[in-house]
Amino acid sequence: MIACLFVPLFPLAARLRSEPELKDEDLAIFEGNGNAARVVAASRKARKAGVETGMTLPQARARIPKLIARGRDRECERAAQQSLLEVAESFSPRIEDAGEGVAYADLEGHAKLMGGGKPRPYDADVGAALEAARDLARDIVRAAEKAGLPARVGVAASKLAARIAAGLPDTPAVVPEGDEARFLAPLPLERLAPQMEIAATLERWGLTSIGDLAKLPEGEVASRLGEIGRALHAAARGVDPRPLEPYLPPPSFTEGMDLEWPLATLEPFLFLANAALERLLARLEFRALSCTRLEVTLKLDPDGCDARAISLPAPTRDAKTLLTLVRLELEARPPGAPVCGFVFTAHPDSPRRAQLSLFGPAALSPDRLATTIARLAALLGADRVGSPRAVDGHRPERFTATGFSPPPPPRERLAPRAGRGLLSVRVLRPPVPLEVILDTKARGARPSTLKSPPEATPPITGTVRVAAGPWSLEEGWWSDAPADRDYWDVELSGGGLYRIYRERTANAWFADGVYD
Amino acid sequence: MGAAAVERFLEGTGLQRKPAALSLLSGLGAKLTRASDLPSSSLPRDPLPTTVAALDRLLLGGLPRGGFVEVSGRRSCGRFSIGIATLAAATSSGETAALVDLGSHLDPQSAEDAGVDLTRVLWVRPAKLKDAVASAEMTLSAGFPLVVLDLGLPPLRGRFIPDAAWVRLERAARQRHAMLLLLAPYRISGVAADAVVAADAMRPVWRGAAMHGAPKLLAGVASRLTLQKDARARSGIAEQMGLRVDATLSIPSLPATGERGTFSRRRGEGHLIAAAR
Repeated sequence: MIACLFVPLFPLAARLRSEPELKDEDLAIFEGNGNAARVVAASRKARKAGVETGMTLPQARARIPKLIARGRDRECERAAQQSLLEVAESFSPRIEDAGEGVAYADLEGHAKLMGGGKPRPYDADVGAALEAARDLARDIVRAAEKAGLPARVGVAASKLAARIAAGLPDTPAVVPEGDEARFLAPLPLERLAPQMEIAATLERWGLTSIGDLAKLPEGEVASRLGEIGRALHAAARGVDPRPLEPYLPPPSFTEGMDLEWPLATLEPFLFLANAALERLLARLEFRALSCTRLEVTLKLDPDGCDARAISLPAPTRDAKTLLTLVRLELEARPPGAPVCGFVFTAHPDSPRRAQLSLFGPAALSPDRLATTIARLAALLGADRVGSPRAVDGHRPERFTATGFSPPPPPRERLAPRAGRGLLSVRVLRPPVPLEVILDTKARGARPSTLKSPPEATPPITGTVRVAAGPWSLEEGWWSDAPADRDYWDVELSGGGLYRIYRERTANAWFADGVYD
Repeated sequence: MGAAAVERFLEGTGLQRKPAALSLLSGLGAKLTRASDLPSSSLPRDPLPTTVAALDRLLLGGLPRGGFVEVSGRRSCGRFSIGIATLAAATSSGETAALVDLGSHLDPQSAEDAGVDLTRVLWVRPAKLKDAVASAEMTLSAGFPLVVLDLGLPPLRGRFIPDAAWVRLERAARQRHAMLLLLAPYRISGVAADAVVAADAMRPVWRGAAMHGAPKLLAGVASRLTLQKDARARSGIAEQMGLRVDATLSIPSLPATGERGTFSRRRGEGHLIAAAR
């Protein structure tokens, strides 16, 4: 037997579970923004006043001016669904998460254990077995109420019948095994939730109940409505071949130990951490998983706790890498006291694989690449590792960098494109301030001598041999940091070809590039 | 060979009947002057052309896979341009590359303009020389087929790097079959590099001088590359390298007075437009 736990008006129930004080208020749950927001569920009081599903907020407020409107809260619903699963799991180890306030529990063989405290032979007497199942269902309803969820429970031999039984207002509903067709027959066709077009067709045929559909010949229904009609006809007869799909809770990967004496230096700790990480990664490997995030919790002496998390760009199972990251993390931010215990918690994820190519350039291993980027980021800082990107604008020093995620290599190795033979500029970040002596004898004032401050890097000092310019640049005059510059290309007599500019507003000179 | 045949050979009469033997002596045979010039099976093959013609000629086709090439030279000698051109060549052939940029000198705009596919470039910006060397080793270990290590402008930031570190880099490149290009202001890698190229004698080329009093325009630079060390003992060879600036000089309608003109200089997508004074 399968029990279906169904929470009607799930968005509302989830919200009331979090805010029980709204239980007796005019409450409506909306989905969508602005004018597109529609009522998805409303409290009993609001429904009595005329608020219906699908109404807009103005329409609902027209009926109840003081209506409390709440948006749909996915986090609330996720927690409520988890709670419902926990209720189901407290009655059976085999449960299924069907989402949106529906869960199934396999009750096979459990009635003997939980039927009202005294053992009852389940299959000895049908009546007694039904009563045992009903007792069990009542227990489930009570447990759900305890968890703050107004669940209805249906018990039947198939998931379909259990789900429909759970939808009935009289709860709990128990359908005897083999009696599904008789149970379904008087119910309206809407309970099978047929598609809108099919429902219209069935209505035209004059069918109102599930039994009416079940009486029709299957072949005739299938020939007129296709595969969907055939499946609907089977459902009307109570035939549901879908098995229960067991829900597997995510495993917890945790390794750690309490130390007999506190550790004040890093090396002994890393020695123990290495062994713990290897055990943890072996467990991950056993399940063909990798670590995508490592949480490190240190128990400090005499009391206290230091928790930190190391995120990885891609999942890895390399203990050496994780140990290096732990080392870098602890070196960067040492705990404030000796460590007397530690726990590593790995967040698992599937490892990424790269498709190898026979003819094209080899792709980088995502695992190794992620590890390298994480190590580089730990060594240099996350903002110093990435993939460069050009930025729209005219300021030569502009740049941005994003996460490095190269496209897959081509299937065949391409010949390198012919070079353009361009002279590149080394951008000086930040620009080097300059003292510039101008030659006013020349046509227009031109730089004749440059001198950078003694502490400037790189030092730029010398007599200008050739100066070309000025090239005017003006950008962002509407912003707080406008650029209003005159650029010059200068060649110094001692060698070196620089790009310098005069900031017109401050009349200050800078070198921002070296042609190299 | 009998005595008569030897005699004929020495007199040259035999050679006239054997053009193949003659071509052997005047062709390949004449070139076989040193054993070190013979292609060795231990030498890395399948070079990646840097698309800088002068450097490719010096390196016999480009950067050798599994090899370590150092290009050193003073400011404005064109070594950074060599690095950018190499990145463009590698990424345009679909390979990924890492640029370890000590000093953060890369201009993504001009790199893109030079043909670099920025999505295939990992840009690492260490602040110290020691970190730069460590970053290069990490990227080589990650499997990047090309790592360009640019040490920026002198004075180099950070402590002295022992020769062993360069040897380790060379071994990492060899084991991974990767190309390591070191761009340094002076020769720094000791004996580790397979090939060392010195760039010197930079000579800027200016255009537009004294044209209606208009400013000059930097057209490019000419530099000389000298092979200082090579695994095949071909040192001392020099090649001229020319690099141009992607610039246009246009004076569409100069007024009769010749006082003003319009110049545009293209750098990537941006345009610098100025009125000559």
